[in-house]
Amino acid sequence: MKAVLASEWLKLRSVRSTYLILGIGLSTVLLGLALAASAAGMYDAAPPTQQARARIADLEEAFAIIPQLCMGVLGTLAMTSEYTTGMIRTSLALVPRRWPVLAAKSMVVGSLGLFVGVLAVFGTYFAARGALGDRFSGAYATAVGDRVPLLVSLSLTVLVFALLGVGLGALLRSAAGATAVIVALVYGLPMIIDKIPEPWSERLGSLMIGALPRQITGDIIATSVYGSSLSPPVAAVVMVAYATVPLTIASWLLCRRDA
Amino acid sequence: MVRRAGDPPPRILYGVIELQHLTKRYGGTLAVDDLSFAVAPGHVTGFLGPNGAGKSTTMRLILGLDAPTSGQALVNGRRYTSFRKPLREVGALLDASAVHGGRSAYNHLLCMARANGIGLKRVVQVLEQVGLASVARKRVGGISLGMKQRLGIASALLGNPGVLMFDEPVNGLDPDGVRWIRDLLRSLAAEGRTILLSSHLMSAMALTAERIVIIGRGRLITEATVAELTARHRSLEDAYMALTSGSLEYGAA
Repeated sequence: MKAVLASEWLKLRSVRSTYLILGIGLSTVLLGLALAASAAGMYDAAPPTQQARARIADLEEAFAIIPQLCMGVLGTLAMTSEYTTGMIRTSLALVPRRWPVLAAKSMVVGSLGLFVGVLAVFGTYFAARGALGDRFSGAYATAVGDRVPLLVSLSLTVLVFALLGVGLGALLRSAAGATAVIVALVYGLPMIIDKIPEPWSERLGSLMIGALPRQITGDIIATSVYGSSLSPPVAAVVMVAYATVPLTIASWLLCRRDA
Repeated sequence: MVRRAGDPPPRILYGVIELQHLTKRYGGTLAVDDLSFAVAPGHVTGFLGPNGAGKSTTMRLILGLDAPTSGQALVNGRRYTSFRKPLREVGALLDASAVHGGRSAYNHLLCMARANGIGLKRVVQVLEQVGLASVARKRVGGISLGMKQRLGIASALLGNPGVLMFDEPVNGLDPDGVRWIRDLLRSLAAEGRTILLSSHLMSAMALTAERIVIIGRGRLITEATVAELTARHRSLEDAYMALTSGSLEYGAA
């Protein structure tokens, strides 16, 4: 397993797309900083009555979509590039048990996902906190410790997307297909679910990946576009399922399908 | 005994490939049909047959990439899927273009080597052996098909295995390269390795191989030495034409 891990780590390190995707994922912090700085400028220029009513979204939550999509795509490409280039036959011939290839890829991509997730989410939070101070009714002036559970929970969604990408890539063996599913999960489905009648909108909306961090930590807000009907443990289980179910099915198929 | 990572383990190179009633069915088509033959060490065995005869499928079955419908393929008496470090047992070149175009030849080989616990020194060694040392750091997408064939041969040699399989390795090679690979294969065989070589180039095959296995429509047509075939026909090409005339899958009427 150590040997396969070393091989998969080198595979990821030795193509340029990895660095490009990591760069875009981490650029979230700069975007967050820019938006926070511009919001601070607008806030300062506004009259006190408007300042009192002004609200700002949690930027690290709103911007988490960037590292989520990036790592989803990285996971997808790590797997589908093997199929499009034909390299998969070499990889499977080197490791005839096959599942270690998928396991090692998941560990390597997952580690990067966690790394990028923590850096992007915490980085954006601290950038916004620094730029905003106690503006917007002190939205970013609360104790850091109170925010840590939600920030950790948000960071973990990036890891989930990385693993989901690997799993979907291995299942569908097509970058276009797997990327479409990931974008649908982030964008398409929540928009559709928002429009369907209750109670299904609330029920299904609670299952969306974006809905899970706040349900896990219990930081429910009224303005959320998602549902919030899951208890913290159930929400945590759903999040783990997003990462592991596609991977488990993919691993089972990988060991059985002709390469 | 301490073994340095770069050195392949010392061992006898003699290996053997055995097919026992190997059969592979894809849906309604029988790609390989009750195929039994053995490939012995010490010489190059030519693997011939018309397009669609099942040569590549047979090689994939030997490498455990496809699972046989029935029968089995053994390498050194074992199923390929039972090997933990298969590169040290079997080296194969199936499709030279099946490499990530964005990776360098060096990194491609190192990815393979790492997976089977082979050291960096061996990677440098095979790159020099196939004459790719000067372009090893270039992205593979930018090198010629002939160079990709050399890279494929390097990857087959990586684990210094006793059994080697090459599917159409001369495609895209210049005359110089064709001669190089012929000499290389013969010298690898002379070291006692088992070599299975598929190619459509009959004249080159006649100069490289000592034994020939011909299949058609997934079945064994003949197994003979080149000397036997050329004794009964004017050339290996004539022998091939006469023997496969009944089993052309895709031919002009």
